[in-house]
Amino acid sequence: MGIVVGIDLGTTNSLIATLDDGQPWVIPDDEGDLLLPSYVGMSDSNQLLVGQSAMRQYAAAPERTVKSIKRQMGTDYSVTLGDRTYSPQEISAILLKSLKQRAESVLAEEITQAVITVPAYFTDAQRQATKEAGEIAGFEVLQILNEPTAAALVFDVRAEEPENVLVYDLGGGTFDVSIVEIAGDVTEVLASHGNNRLGGDDFDRQLQRHLADRFSQAHDGTLVPTDAATQARLLQAAEQAKMALSDHAFTTVREPFLVSEGDAALHLEAEIAREDFENLIKPLLKDTLEAIDRALADADMTAEDLDRVVLVGGSTRIPLVQQLVESHLPGVPVSSFEVDLCVGLGAALQAGVLAGEAVSSILVDVTPHSLGIAAVMDTPMGRMPDMFSAIIPRNTVIPTSRSQVYHTSYDYQEAVEIEVYQGENAIARENVPLGSFRVEELPPKPGGSLQIEVHFDFDLNGILTVTATEKGQGKKNSLAVNDTETRRLSSHDLNQARAAIDSLFEAMPFSLEDLEADLAGESADSEEE
Amino acid sequence: MQAHLQVHYDRLGISPPATPSDIKAAYHTQLKAFPAHSHPIEFKAIRAAYEALRKAPKADENFFDVRPVEAKIDQSVVKQLRQQVSATVEVTLEDLILLTF
Repeated sequence: MGIVVGIDLGTTNSLIATLDDGQPWVIPDDEGDLLLPSYVGMSDSNQLLVGQSAMRQYAAAPERTVKSIKRQMGTDYSVTLGDRTYSPQEISAILLKSLKQRAESVLAEEITQAVITVPAYFTDAQRQATKEAGEIAGFEVLQILNEPTAAALVFDVRAEEPENVLVYDLGGGTFDVSIVEIAGDVTEVLASHGNNRLGGDDFDRQLQRHLADRFSQAHDGTLVPTDAATQARLLQAAEQAKMALSDHAFTTVREPFLVSEGDAALHLEAEIAREDFENLIKPLLKDTLEAIDRALADADMTAEDLDRVVLVGGSTRIPLVQQLVESHLPGVPVSSFEVDLCVGLGAALQAGVLAGEAVSSILVDVTPHSLGIAAVMDTPMGRMPDMFSAIIPRNTVIPTSRSQVYHTSYDYQEAVEIEVYQGENAIARENVPLGSFRVEELPPKPGGSLQIEVHFDFDLNGILTVTATEKGQGKKNSLAVNDTETRRLSSHDLNQARAAIDSLFEAMPFSLEDLEADLAGESADSEEE
Repeated sequence: MQAHLQVHYDRLGISPPATPSDIKAAYHTQLKAFPAHSHPIEFKAIRAAYEALRKAPKADENFFDVRPVEAKIDQSVVKQLRQQVSATVEVTLEDLILLTF
């Protein structure tokens, strides 16, 4: 049986983990580093840079460096590096491929199967983009796993009684809260909520603006230029100051020669108090507390029902985060464990379960967003068209099958249009459209007398099959969302992307061919072709 | 009331009356035998059974226990009842689908 891996593809850092005798461990790079900074760049000689090397050139060459690509997953965003334009999937695939090579070089074996984690609150499009990234990198993606759920798999609950654990996961770019019941080997998610655009990156940006203000105060109103390089320096200085403020009450930011005015060079030198920083981010953190309340309500719980809170993600190192969570959930013990690693470790555990290794853990997860269709509905303002009728409500355990019966809305209606959406808004088109189809040639009947049953089948891989059946004559039609045939990326596109990224890696000092040669050398009876 | 619940008890391999912790333990045992990733159809049936029995009125409540007389209608109970009824309807639909397999 091949080796399986779990990958935490993070906004700021990524990692790859595997199992040894059922125990997960993180695979380090040549230098012994466990985390791969999620940076991709091109050097001035057009050579691919991934991780540390790309991060190091960011302040000097932001136009040739990509960071925080996770925030663009599932969008049409594109970025140009060298002579090619890359989609978010492709940039993510470069990170994944780099992790894959790291693992193959340490384990001296080819690795193809992986579980990749995503924020629990990621939408369907974001999940599919992540899966595509995995495929471009050459993986068979066994499962797209929710990050807080992965983290929960790592906690060893030895208590006899089941424990209700709230996982608060605040990372570089995303925030999730999940309420999980852990009973022996069974980990069951009761509710998840979150924000796909809230994390350490936002705190950096707040502090970056604050530093710019401090600079102009110190230099008679001179503004920090808005060019990419200066802003990148300021952003990196902000990130370093943020990290320092997790351990110290004060920090000094020094960026010499930030701005040159005529012959004079202007320096940034500012002392930042932890309290200044806390005031900047407090409004953002308030949102996370509201998310806790909604998750609790969805799980039909109050704070008293929680046995503990576990903090996950690098941004939970900020002391204010812990203080706010503690005071919001009085009496519930708050702890943290390997905030950077536990998501990846949990992903490796789940990969082991799926590959049939002797890992005894059972996972029951939910879909964080409601799935439904547009329908005419009775509202306090009368009958309204294009309302969102949820068929699979949020926080339903998956896989699941649900049906609902609808009626035609006018006399002799010949067809119904089934428009499928994902989201929580009462107005259908305010949600994310997933596709639509029609059932036609309906028998002529008075309005309201014809019944159409709409059946939703949602599987663990996020494939949603919608079938609509007219109940009289049995006319029906169906739609599969995210099926291999309807995916947004054709297999031709996929192969092209894979080839383009492979060629980038081949030009790297440590190339794929070297690795393959190494691997061939390992097996005794391999022959030259 | 109990008759249509029988299929759910059977699915979890227990018989009424069962306490909530019996139901949960039986559910967990079935999950281990039929994990979602390898047995999606069985998993859905197990989950439906668990949700139905969890919401069902407790079978072990003693009718002859002396209780204080309640004169007014508790709105939350009405709401709960309404939810239970609709849950049961939902479940029978699921059953029908499953039985046709």
